[in-house]
Amino acid sequence: MDEEPERAKRWEGGYERTWEVLKEDEFGSLKATVEEILFQSKRKRALESHGQVRLGMMRHLYVVIDSSRTMEDMDLRPNRLKATLKLMEAFVEEYFDQNPISQVGLITTKNKRAEKLTELAGNPKKHLAALKKARDAACVGEPSLYNSLNLAMQTLKHMPGHTSREIVVIFSSLTTCDPANIYELIKTLKSLKIRVSVIGLSAEVRVCTVLTRETGGTYHVCLDESHFKELLMFHVKPPPANAQSECSLIRMGFPQHTIASMCDQDSKPSFSMSHLDSTSEVGLSLGGYFCPQCHAKHTELPVECKICGLTLVSAPHLARSFHHLFPLEAFRETPLEELPADRFCHACQGKLKDKIVFTCPFCSGVFCTECDLFIHDSLHCCPSCINSQHSN
Amino acid sequence: MKLNIEGLLVYFPYDYIYPEQYSYMLELKRTLDAKGHGVLEMPSGTGKTISLLSLILAYQKAYPLEITKLIYCSRTVPEIEKVVEELRKLIEFHCKETGEANNFLALALSSRKNLCIHPEVSALRIGKEVDGKCHSLTASYIRAQRLSDPSLPSCRFYEGFDAIGRQVPLPPGVYNLDDLKEFGQKKGWCPYFLARQAILHANIVVYSYHYLLDPKIADLVSKELTKKAVVVFDEAHNIDNVCIDSMSVNITRRTLDRCTSNVETLQTTIQRIKETDAAKLKEEYRRLVEGLKEANVARVTDVYLGNPVLPAEVLQEAVPGSIRTAEHFVGFLKRFLEYLKSRLRVHHVVQESAPQFLKDIFQKVCIDRKPLRFCAERLRSLLRTLEISDLTDFSAITLISNFATLVSTYSQGFTIIIEPFEDRTPSIANPVLHFSCMDPSIAIKPVFERFQSVIITSGTLSPLDIYPKILDFRPVTVASFTMTLARTCLCPLIVGRGNDQVALSSKFETREDFAVIRNYGNLLLEMSGVVPDGIVAFFTSYMYMENIVASWYEQGILENIQRNKLIFIETPDAAETSMALEKYQEACENGRGAILLSVARGKVSEGIDFVHHFGRAVIMFGVPYVYTQSRILKARLEYLRDQFQIRENDFLTFDAMRHAAQCVGRVIRGKTDYGLMIFADKRYARADKRGKLPRWIQEHISDGSLNLTVDETVQMSKHFLRQMAQPFRQEDQLGLSLLTIEQLESEEMLKKISQMAHQA
Repeated sequence: MDEEPERAKRWEGGYERTWEVLKEDEFGSLKATVEEILFQSKRKRALESHGQVRLGMMRHLYVVIDSSRTMEDMDLRPNRLKATLKLMEAFVEEYFDQNPISQVGLITTKNKRAEKLTELAGNPKKHLAALKKARDAACVGEPSLYNSLNLAMQTLKHMPGHTSREIVVIFSSLTTCDPANIYELIKTLKSLKIRVSVIGLSAEVRVCTVLTRETGGTYHVCLDESHFKELLMFHVKPPPANAQSECSLIRMGFPQHTIASMCDQDSKPSFSMSHLDSTSEVGLSLGGYFCPQCHAKHTELPVECKICGLTLVSAPHLARSFHHLFPLEAFRETPLEELPADRFCHACQGKLKDKIVFTCPFCSGVFCTECDLFIHDSLHCCPSCINSQHSN
Repeated sequence: MKLNIEGLLVYFPYDYIYPEQYSYMLELKRTLDAKGHGVLEMPSGTGKTISLLSLILAYQKAYPLEITKLIYCSRTVPEIEKVVEELRKLIEFHCKETGEANNFLALALSSRKNLCIHPEVSALRIGKEVDGKCHSLTASYIRAQRLSDPSLPSCRFYEGFDAIGRQVPLPPGVYNLDDLKEFGQKKGWCPYFLARQAILHANIVVYSYHYLLDPKIADLVSKELTKKAVVVFDEAHNIDNVCIDSMSVNITRRTLDRCTSNVETLQTTIQRIKETDAAKLKEEYRRLVEGLKEANVARVTDVYLGNPVLPAEVLQEAVPGSIRTAEHFVGFLKRFLEYLKSRLRVHHVVQESAPQFLKDIFQKVCIDRKPLRFCAERLRSLLRTLEISDLTDFSAITLISNFATLVSTYSQGFTIIIEPFEDRTPSIANPVLHFSCMDPSIAIKPVFERFQSVIITSGTLSPLDIYPKILDFRPVTVASFTMTLARTCLCPLIVGRGNDQVALSSKFETREDFAVIRNYGNLLLEMSGVVPDGIVAFFTSYMYMENIVASWYEQGILENIQRNKLIFIETPDAAETSMALEKYQEACENGRGAILLSVARGKVSEGIDFVHHFGRAVIMFGVPYVYTQSRILKARLEYLRDQFQIRENDFLTFDAMRHAAQCVGRVIRGKTDYGLMIFADKRYARADKRGKLPRWIQEHISDGSLNLTVDETVQMSKHFLRQMAQPFRQEDQLGLSLLTIEQLESEEMLKKISQMAHQA
């Protein structure tokens, strides 16, 4: 990563060093500084999320991006807005990678107003385009937390009960300009079971603390770009499903991709549903996904059928989302000394150096810290378990 | 948990303890063992009160003969209530652990205004009115009259108390003001008199400073408290001023006018009584001839707490003949009043000492020193004889007679200043006679002499050695404790320069300097963009604040600030200020953010806590020196120099720094709280100023943060606030700044704690 040297060059670097001096206090007891606490909490977070909890599989998430005057602050490079949008692009891609049958929408707030950038949709392309476009927008005025939450709520409250309703606010300003009492809105959000999480870019603001505490979300303030990214990526993983959330059977269509060749007499070029509202390209094509119910044609999956409203997915999508239902159990922490002579990580085959290693409770495979994180964050299955299954 | 403090078993009602609490208890125990006085400084929010209570309670249980009573003095009613709640928790825990029934009696005492349950009397709002009304219903002679004339109104609660309540002791338990009222309602007894009676045998009494320090009240309430008591003055950083105020007298023309009418009332009453009941006056005369033997005997046998208004010599002698008869005394008072009136007719400032005053009064109206001395006592006797029910009307004449006694008793420690007008309004004649006490030790001396241990404690008592000096006592322990922190949750920064390198300072020469004001504005503006929720800014005086804010307004700085946060201003008007405070808190609560501009030494700087989001940063604009041109202050400084060898400058700096510390201390109210403390004056960087800050603030000022520019401050604040916004839970504190009993008892921790005490 080229971020590291860049960080050292920054002129604020000097201040960060003064902080490090504070660590070496003459009282041994004062040693645990914020960074240590941070590391601890990171580990905790990993542990907590790996409990046997059912995670929401279908998510509806609105991301509110503060575009107020304070987003021009240069403490994130090149400024807060650009850094946020760049990370958001990565987030959107990652989000759909991990939650293929979920939807996302974008809202920006500035000048005391809130404005929908994109509607809730399951297609990353539109969001990415909107994010690109937002780069040139000016940052003016104050944000309005109330308006943006209200806007998101208007859509989210109509979402079916078996899906999760979430809002993530990226909040840079320290003030909010609200037309009404925000505590009333928080109550409403709570009753609608909408979970609001906030990522602060500058400091802890009281109203956000209350908001997240009441609605069951998380509240974090970023330290720098890499921490920001970490915090944002934390929201890729679905939150634990609400215990009272409804269970319902949903109809889903699994359309097959039909590839028609020109020589086939029966095939006629037709418009795809997703091209109906985009004027830019001419959408006549031969092949596509045909809705098993109404035979409307779609070019991409997953999508909700424009005609009959059936959810159209492909089997692999469902499988990818499936692991949220059965999360991988957390590995046991064991000190290195307890291990026999063979001290290699079963995943990366590297020599185990850390004092603490992780053991899979089923196959007793031993992993290093990095691999543990990778397995739990991205892989969602224990490689050594699968290996032994195969050999059997 | 159960703690072992050098062999003493202490029940501590929480599962966790801060290391400094343990250390505090150690020091406290040593003080009690030595039967001496102590000065202890520990930051607010570290559980001072509970440490004090649990140790002293344990001590009382273990050595019931050594200490029979704890007298806990606090400043305000809410603080008193808080202490009682802690106490309740402690005693409940104690009973649960030991399995014994509670045999402790602990109660709070406050004025009639807070305790009265009589439906009509308690409806009155003003304390004095309640007192007067109560007195008119319950005074002994009124009740005597009622025997002959049952139509007179009475207070059934007092009657109930007098009939039964006097003999029945209050059952053991913890009583706050509401509990007392409820108990009174149930039994039909007056809670106020019940409480006053109960404090004599209570194990723990919680009340206000004034019940011990103000001679007028102390004489009524606290006179008979046992000698084997521990007295605790909490939040005692201003105790010297309380002492001085309780002994000082200000006389204006209005006071004298009211005195004149008082004297007339006296005269007519005397006349009337003479016609109807001359024997009563004779009886009084006889008593006065015999002198104040009764009081003298009491003092010799050490039954009572001394009263500085009743000097020892007076007790030896009989009331002088010239004021023994009622008419003579009234005539004497008249003469004295006329003299005071003539003194108030001055056109220039007069300052003189007590002996000078006495000499002058002798020359002009032939009043001797001796009768003056007896004035207070004589008036009290007269009022008693005349059976005047409403004592509130006589506050003016009581004041004057107290003044007469004080001025003739103390040749040192007081000064008389007569100012024909206020400094600010030289054209309006408003003559005031200040009889100003300069020696706080006079008022507190009886307390130190009478009680076995007196503990003076607060969050800000630095520098510690000055309190024993100005209060004139010899403590056995002087200690300061710091906060052990799992994260550095306070960030003191000293801003010495603006971005343009102009030195920031509120000193007199640069006070009007445009550049300084602009830079101050810039600082506030920048901070308002970085600090979330609430910022509290303190100025050195109302005048200075007005000037600066007006100037900011002209420069458009205010407008810019208001884009970030709302601005509220403290004014001398209490109602306005509490309104501003309320709105300020609302703005902090709902995310709009707010700035409160207030004044060091004002109401906000002393009594209001800005927990968590209500104060994320406090900015101290300038060093809050007291107004040095005041004559009273000058006289006091001179006195301090002559009597205690404290240099003027040292005292002024001490006084300024303790107020600065009070102001900035408002933001940190516990270990989970965090806040920035910004000292915006170059002078704070100097060792003499910095060294006078409390140790728990001082140790966080690094050399790197001594002379920052506004920009650097903003950067450091940003960083600090981000760090502090990271999630922080109790587990992170455990073992470092929060201990379980096992952790506490580990060798290593005990060693560390003992070191902590040594550093003090």
